[in-house]
Amino acid sequence: MKLDELTKGLFKYNPIFYLVLGLCPLLAVSTRVDNALGMSLGVLFVLVGSNVIISLLRQWIPPEVRIPCFIVVIASFVTIVDLFMHGYAPELHERLGIYVPLIVVNCIIFGRAEAFASKKSVSHSLLDGIGMGIGFMLGIVVIASVREVLSTGAMTIFGYTIIPGLTQSPATVMLLPPGAFLTIAIIMALINYKNVRRERR
Amino acid sequence: MMESVKRILRISIPLILICIVSGATLTVSSDLTKERIKEVEQRKVNESLSIIFPGASFNKTGDYYTAMMNGEEIGYAFIAQGKGYSSTIKTMVGMYQNGTINRIYVISQLETPGLGTRIAEPDFTNQFSGKRIEDIRLRQDGGLIDSITGATISSRAITEIVRTRAEVVVNETR
Repeated sequence: MKLDELTKGLFKYNPIFYLVLGLCPLLAVSTRVDNALGMSLGVLFVLVGSNVIISLLRQWIPPEVRIPCFIVVIASFVTIVDLFMHGYAPELHERLGIYVPLIVVNCIIFGRAEAFASKKSVSHSLLDGIGMGIGFMLGIVVIASVREVLSTGAMTIFGYTIIPGLTQSPATVMLLPPGAFLTIAIIMALINYKNVRRERR
Repeated sequence: MMESVKRILRISIPLILICIVSGATLTVSSDLTKERIKEVEQRKVNESLSIIFPGASFNKTGDYYTAMMNGEEIGYAFIAQGKGYSSTIKTMVGMYQNGTINRIYVISQLETPGLGTRIAEPDFTNQFSGKRIEDIRLRQDGGLIDSITGATISSRAITEIVRTRAEVVVNETR
């Protein structure tokens, strides 16, 4: 039963395709798979950390100032990620740039704090954070794979070539924000199509 | 009266405590990573020096580097940094002794992705090569640098940053 809290974030309530949260960083960093992986590891860490801390403090945070409290907790975790990424993964840090500090305003993290962690037990919140974080990772990596292959004709993850150059004239539009919208829209349409068909049966 | 003071305390004390704990945690993290980040930044500086004057060796004099090749001074390299549109732009500048710019290389910037970030691309930075300091201005300001469409503020910022700093270094080295 408890495992539901973990698995619901992966598919059933996937933060990107079902809850449609956290799209701003998604548009920006889903141009390459390794950026997407780096970003979502950061998000996973912040999400799990803030979910656990907020759940621990939930009876203790006055409802009037819960939002500032959540923001301070989330921002602290984000700053920790930013500092360590700067020191230990400088290239990734440079490529993600402003989007690392912007994890603070990622709606998934704040949404889980407000809707889940501030009401549920620590263990449930931990599982929820892991599930939602991995769900975000799944979503962003799928989108980034599509965009990277279509916009460069190749895929390179942390220096390893996964797919070699397929074409000399790739679709640059996939690198730009419209490419992200198109990819998200097509994947969402496929998911909805499947759901509608399943309901009809 | 007592009631409202109590209420204020009940609301504010938890928030204050959270802020204190958060501040302490961040101080520790910052201490843990400070050395490492400094090394990373120093490595970036060294890399950019070798892009500006490939194959040269550098002596640090004050706040600029003297580039030496085969025992002869060939120019100066220095970091110019200042405020851009949405971030601090940090640039390595190479300058010959006669005050012409050799090359510039953007070390770090976080301008608007797709627009302002193009100040770091060779199409833009190559314009600085071979220009005299007084020509390092945007064309609309009477200089010889073409700004990037949609990113005039970033273009002007980097141009001004480079020129101002180059003027200072020219005076220092004379």
